[in-house]
Amino acid sequence: MRTLNFKEALNEALHQEMTSDSRVIVLGEDVARMGGDFGVTMGLLDKFGRDRVRDTPLSEAAIIGAANGAAFCGLRPVAEIMFADFITECYDQLVNNSAKARYMFNGQVMAPIVVRTSSGAGFRAAYHHSQNIEAWFLNIPGLTIVAPSTPHDAKGLLIGAIRDDNPVIFLEHKMLYGTTGEVPEEPYALPIGVAEVKRPGTDVTIVASMKQLHYALAAAERLASEEEISCEVIDLRTLKPFDKATILSSVKKTGRVVLVNEAPKTGSINAEIAAVIMEEAFRDLSAPVERVNSLDVPVGFAPVLEDYVIPGPADITMAVRKVIDY
Amino acid sequence: MAADKQTLLDYYRKMVLIRRFEETMEEHAKKGYIPGFLHLGIGQEAAQVGTMATFAPGDYVLPDHRSHGVCLMVGTPTREVMAEIFGKKTGTNGGRGGSMHVADFKRGNVGNNAIQGSTMATACGLALAAQVKKTKAVTFNFIGDGTVGRGEFHESLNLAGIWKLPIVYVLVNNGYAISTRATDAHPLADLAKMGCAYNVPGITVDGNDVEAVHAAAKEATDRARRGEGATIIELKTYRWQGHFSGDPASYRPEEEVKTWKEKCPIRRLRDTLLQRKLADMAALKAIENDVEREIQDALKFSIDSPAPTIEDALTFVYVGREVTGK
Repeated sequence: MRTLNFKEALNEALHQEMTSDSRVIVLGEDVARMGGDFGVTMGLLDKFGRDRVRDTPLSEAAIIGAANGAAFCGLRPVAEIMFADFITECYDQLVNNSAKARYMFNGQVMAPIVVRTSSGAGFRAAYHHSQNIEAWFLNIPGLTIVAPSTPHDAKGLLIGAIRDDNPVIFLEHKMLYGTTGEVPEEPYALPIGVAEVKRPGTDVTIVASMKQLHYALAAAERLASEEEISCEVIDLRTLKPFDKATILSSVKKTGRVVLVNEAPKTGSINAEIAAVIMEEAFRDLSAPVERVNSLDVPVGFAPVLEDYVIPGPADITMAVRKVIDY
Repeated sequence: MAADKQTLLDYYRKMVLIRRFEETMEEHAKKGYIPGFLHLGIGQEAAQVGTMATFAPGDYVLPDHRSHGVCLMVGTPTREVMAEIFGKKTGTNGGRGGSMHVADFKRGNVGNNAIQGSTMATACGLALAAQVKKTKAVTFNFIGDGTVGRGEFHESLNLAGIWKLPIVYVLVNNGYAISTRATDAHPLADLAKMGCAYNVPGITVDGNDVEAVHAAAKEATDRARRGEGATIIELKTYRWQGHFSGDPASYRPEEEVKTWKEKCPIRRLRDTLLQRKLADMAALKAIENDVEREIQDALKFSIDSPAPTIEDALTFVYVGREVTGK
């Protein structure tokens, strides 16, 4: 099968959806002439014109508000917030408008917007270009959060998100844009809310997403070959709502769980998954649930600061040994 | 050119309807019928009626924070607006919106948002959709003087300026944001001038003169419909009540309130009708009686209607995804 990188897969999804559905429009900072700060929207302006592909001023609140309004009128806006850290500038629009419109207006309207944004650490970009922001939105009913980890899923989930009738925050880990993988040429939508078992195993369940998923797979490979520990690795793919059934059935089998997420530990999605496991699979556990997260400090600039704070494969390996040795 | 007899009588009926609606709401809030906050627009009827007289089917309106009157101007039955404020299932939003979120999408009322300035971003999207879909729809965006302080005011006007969005900004300047005087909060006495920075023309009008309001609104609406972009019409008026029903508004000098009550927009229109010999007292009284029947019918309907059920609490959170109850 043909190979694309993550960025190209996203770009193809946008081209295909804009071709097949004239309701899809794209707006954001530098998305038109430049084709996006990371190149994800390349070529859309030339193909679809200025009405449907719009560069905006530095106005995140107006971008998301405009996306909401256009969605109310039947369009399918895909808005880009260049860095997830900037989403604070439109937090009100997402939390108080996108998420609630359908509910407070009694189903009279939908807000089927997709907010694409680059998140995650590793770029040495420090405090305002490195954060993982999903936990800021986990507590908001009405929102959906999608977070692919491979080019294949990036394309399928972006198409799935555009076709979904709910407001979707679509996280693109910036360290994954250059990663490659097999991507079918035809359009395909992957379901929202469905995780994938990336590597079957019997001893420990590792739940991860985005860049950390690759660290989890690397750790699982090493643990299998060097220590004969069999890890089952689950890629969440959707963070909200996350796929409880897949996680719980794996926990039932292994009885030992390591949750991996790049955001700071306190209040991260790992806390929520751990709580669900406690509520629904406590008796299946052979060891306490172990969490691997960033430390509860900001993402600093000097490489040594960032590397110390952000989890890596070694942290996952240690956590697995801990639940095995319990 | 002065408005004709039928138009002025129509304005009179609508302004009396809004006045009696608001008085009835206040009375029933005090009696405990109405949950939550109630922001009344008594004194601002000319601003609402004069502007909305230019609203046409297919247009959109985003009401402001004391906007029951605007909600009555799109053709929604009075009883449905009132029942909504009472929190009843027969209301526009099934009782889940209330005073601050009355919406009727099929008639173009896209709903208020209780966070000032938020609708300005939404308005950009409604107008953008009109451009993409090549309709002649105009978006009426009611805002207050307090909204001028919000970031979205500036982001949205900027976007409206560069994209020539078909929006009529109806800036109802009633002199106060709760207790803070507009003249203390903003560096310009005439807030319509704020549009200068964004190449959005503005005009300041006596908001208690329904004919002047309509003339300004008509020019702005025609401009928007011709594709020439947005306009701010600033309507100088006054709210007779406190910020919410029950606020004694002790922050305002009594003399000031008295002066403005003497400038009552309804009395002014009545004087005009009588002076121009377009109606006599009997004709006006007949209109008032007709309005009263409508109000009493709506009141009975609102009191008698059922409340939503607890099942309603779980619907319309997501499209196509269930949420679980207790």
